[in-house]
Amino acid sequence: MNNDRPPDTVRAYLDALQSALKGASPGLVSDALSDAEEHLRNELASNPERSEADVLASVIETYGTPAEIAEEYRSMEATLQGPFPKSEQAPERHYGFFGVISDPRAYGALMYMLLSMVTGIFYFTWTVTGISLTAGLIILIIGIPFALLFIGSVRVLSLVEGRIIEGLLGVRMPRRLPPVSAADETVLARIKDALVDIRTWSSMLYLLLMLPLGIFYFVVAVVGLSLSLGMAGASIFALVTNHVDFQVSDVPWLDHALHTAPGLAAAALFGILLFFILLHVCKGIGWLHGRIAEALLVRL
Amino acid sequence: MTEESLYTRKFRKELMAGLSSLVLLAVLARAGREMYGYEIAKAVKAEGEGGLIFKQGAIYPVLRSLNTLGLLDSRVEASAFGPPRRYYNITDDGRQALNDWQGAWKDMREFVDDALMAGGGAAYEQRPSA
Repeated sequence: MNNDRPPDTVRAYLDALQSALKGASPGLVSDALSDAEEHLRNELASNPERSEADVLASVIETYGTPAEIAEEYRSMEATLQGPFPKSEQAPERHYGFFGVISDPRAYGALMYMLLSMVTGIFYFTWTVTGISLTAGLIILIIGIPFALLFIGSVRVLSLVEGRIIEGLLGVRMPRRLPPVSAADETVLARIKDALVDIRTWSSMLYLLLMLPLGIFYFVVAVVGLSLSLGMAGASIFALVTNHVDFQVSDVPWLDHALHTAPGLAAAALFGILLFFILLHVCKGIGWLHGRIAEALLVRL
Repeated sequence: MTEESLYTRKFRKELMAGLSSLVLLAVLARAGREMYGYEIAKAVKAEGEGGLIFKQGAIYPVLRSLNTLGLLDSRVEASAFGPPRRYYNITDDGRQALNDWQGAWKDMREFVDDALMAGGGAAYEQRPSA
């Protein structure tokens, strides 16, 4: 903690708060920063006759120093995950290879993967349309409000995607829109702010990236599900009804094996095993995607 | 402000940990309408002894946790251009909790007062919070 000089601008305060929160989850940091920014900007707006440094000096007395605030947020997060009845997140259970069948995280990730192609196509279309229309219209007078509208929509989409990710993948994401620049700034200054804000660009990159990723996730999920469930289901059905409906004419020995009871049982087991593997793959992809989203959607 | 001992600060903090939720629920219940964080911070300041007991910054995480517990509703004024504000309102669960907690607080206060008064006032000595 650098206590050598108390922060005298909102930006400096937020920077200090951010470094005091180092190591906390990105979503928590983002929440804390937007709360602080909202409060400080409100304080500035209600004391227009005083200078920013002046207001900041008194605000630190009433609002708290960055170190104190960081501590409050950390302890809130700890309480929420602690003894309160609402938090059902047990301290990171360890699932074995077969235990994955009861791991909600794996099913959440599977759902996410099935969903991601739809959202991915939408995000991609939206972003590409927005970028091209903005680029085309920027020379006209309506280009400027259009650009603002588009940037606003990217922020809302990022928030929505964050909610989906937190719900299905269990990675903590921001629970509110990021603070926008102070209201008294001009439209051009706001556009400039958004353009230099790395998060605007990383969010757009994420939205574009969701198309290939979404297709990949969807294919993995659908192929995995149909292969494993189909194999297990069809073999068990054949075993029970004593009637084999499928044939692998290209591979004679396999075709032969699938017409015997042990062969069918082995195929069923293989299908079930494949399902477990699929769940593990989903969990892994979910974890990986959580990291990607944290890196691109959460401002650090 | 004179420097308080570490124990005293910790003690204050622990006392405040539960009570801040009670105070915030009370403020919102009395207001009977939605309020946003800054407004609540000002209202709390007006009611209390000043910012020194209760840092305004500490209100926001408590509001969030009450929201997570379902005792408060919240809604973000999702304007992309104005400063976004998060409005909070008390839920029925929140009113119920406020009611219960008020009872708990009264019991607690009587219990503590009794304990402190029992020695004729001589028992006011500092001891580390257990």
